[in-house]
Amino acid sequence: MSAIDWLVLGLTLLAIVAYGIWKSRGTKNIEGYLLADKQLPWYHVGLSVMATQASAITFLSAPGQAYSDGLRFVQFYFGLPFAMVLLCVTFIPIFKKLNVYTAYEYLEKRFDLKTRTLTAFLFLLQRGLSTGITIYAPSIVLSTILRIDILYTTLFMGGIVILYTVYGGTKAVSYTQLLQMLIIFSGLICAAVVVVHLLPSNVGFTDALHIAGKMGKLNAIDTEFDLDNRYNLWSGLIGGFFLQLSYFGTDQSQVGRYLTGSSVTQSRLGLVMNGLVKIPMQFFILLIGTLVFSFYQFHEPPLFFNEVEVRKIESSAYKAKYDSLEIAYAQVHAQKQPHVNALVGAVRQENEAAIDAEREALRGLEKRSAAIRTEATGLMKKNNAKADTNDTNYIFLRFVTEYLPVGLVGLLIAIIFLASMGSTASGLNSLASTTVVDVYKRLVKKDASEGNYLSASRWTTVAWGLFCVIVALYAGRLGNLIEAVNILGSLFYGTILGIFIVAFFLKRVGGTAVFYAALLAEVFVVIAWLTELTAFLWLNVIGCLLVMGFALVFEMFKSKKESPL
Amino acid sequence: MSDEKEKPPILKSWRNVYLLVIGALLAQIVLYYLFTRFFE
Repeated sequence: MSAIDWLVLGLTLLAIVAYGIWKSRGTKNIEGYLLADKQLPWYHVGLSVMATQASAITFLSAPGQAYSDGLRFVQFYFGLPFAMVLLCVTFIPIFKKLNVYTAYEYLEKRFDLKTRTLTAFLFLLQRGLSTGITIYAPSIVLSTILRIDILYTTLFMGGIVILYTVYGGTKAVSYTQLLQMLIIFSGLICAAVVVVHLLPSNVGFTDALHIAGKMGKLNAIDTEFDLDNRYNLWSGLIGGFFLQLSYFGTDQSQVGRYLTGSSVTQSRLGLVMNGLVKIPMQFFILLIGTLVFSFYQFHEPPLFFNEVEVRKIESSAYKAKYDSLEIAYAQVHAQKQPHVNALVGAVRQENEAAIDAEREALRGLEKRSAAIRTEATGLMKKNNAKADTNDTNYIFLRFVTEYLPVGLVGLLIAIIFLASMGSTASGLNSLASTTVVDVYKRLVKKDASEGNYLSASRWTTVAWGLFCVIVALYAGRLGNLIEAVNILGSLFYGTILGIFIVAFFLKRVGGTAVFYAALLAEVFVVIAWLTELTAFLWLNVIGCLLVMGFALVFEMFKSKKESPL
Repeated sequence: MSDEKEKPPILKSWRNVYLLVIGALLAQIVLYYLFTRFFE
């Protein structure tokens, strides 16, 4: 990176953190620290909700995922608008009416203490691990750019977020997220314009789309129903609905965002905004990834995008073999050139026969490229069994640092940091809220002063921050990070959602029945995941339905036992 | 269960706001489908 890029990066980060700390000064009680005094307008709520979900992983992994797998990941979000509507109709009015700090407080009012504690525990486990991953993602960026050990970059990233989250609580989180989202939107638009501008002068935006489309990368919609297919229309609508409902309805990192709304209307409008904007935003980010794919049809891509792993193999006994693979990869790329240009010409002339011929030729060459890459990653594994052979997270990053103009590189890197800071801060804040409100205030010190709870909130934020940093240090073994987070969520969200659905809609089921139903359902979900019974999105559906089913059966059994003969 | 006393600032009722959200989703699915087919 150039000096100007470093300046842009440094000033952006400094300005955002300073703004958040300044806006959150004077927080004196737990309501101000955990819920920003419930005074935020709808656009604040909406942007904060979006910033919490859009972590650095979104901007690192999603374009890389589109580069390798196309647009089909967008279907993952199709259940989100339905979830937003259901939350607006049911969850928000209830949470607001009961004036709760956390979603789990409601469960004690509806069921009992053990169900509240179990759900809070499942949340803490899942969110603690996920937040660790969101710290790890931008640490890769610094590690790659500075070429220093990821240990130090993880400590640096975690340290910044802990600093302003501990100081300013929810207010600092929300105010920084507002600016973060504005910078993120601007930066992404700039990146898309530059990618198109970097294409050869005779290749335009629609030509780039045709190239990506003919190579199978614009596969936004897959209507075939297949339980083993991770992303299709049905898994997105049904599985995605359950996952998003669970995430937004029962995950304190999100519930804490919309509880900051100044009224039911402001909180609802914030979620409506998310329901309208999230999918187009995600589509746009993925589209940038497919444009990067088209760009690399004209510019030679590296055989492997993770430079750290490349350096390792090049200093090993396998160097000669790896070098020969690089040469073979470059030759295949060169062979593609006439076909890519012919494809663009055929599309312009609307010559269907020629389009088919060039498409087949290109797909054949793409298969050869993929085979060479597989051979290369095989070498890496042979050299080091612990090698990270998934370079999806590095594709966009490598493109940004190698091809984007001075200044914009710094801004794009800043965006990755800001996104991570936003979601990490929400995660830490929600972990602290749940620990203090559902554990400390409820089980340890019931009648302490506001000052005591405020102090406890700050110390638990520090403790969770340290825990997440430790998790981040081990996150590198999880492959594609965005999928790792979603798989982790799917392991717990279905069960948690099931508990809330029973609470809202199955009025005759009591606390004991739902408690044991949740325990049993969680065991089933983990077994289903370990045995690879189905694609992970369906685990949300399975977990939720199992809790509902078991709870009904247990309640029926209990009623029969208690009824006089 | 919903608190319909608080009216939305636009579209007169919450029902209309929710229909807008779902309608926008359906329109996007159709558009993305056509997008997929057009560039395939």
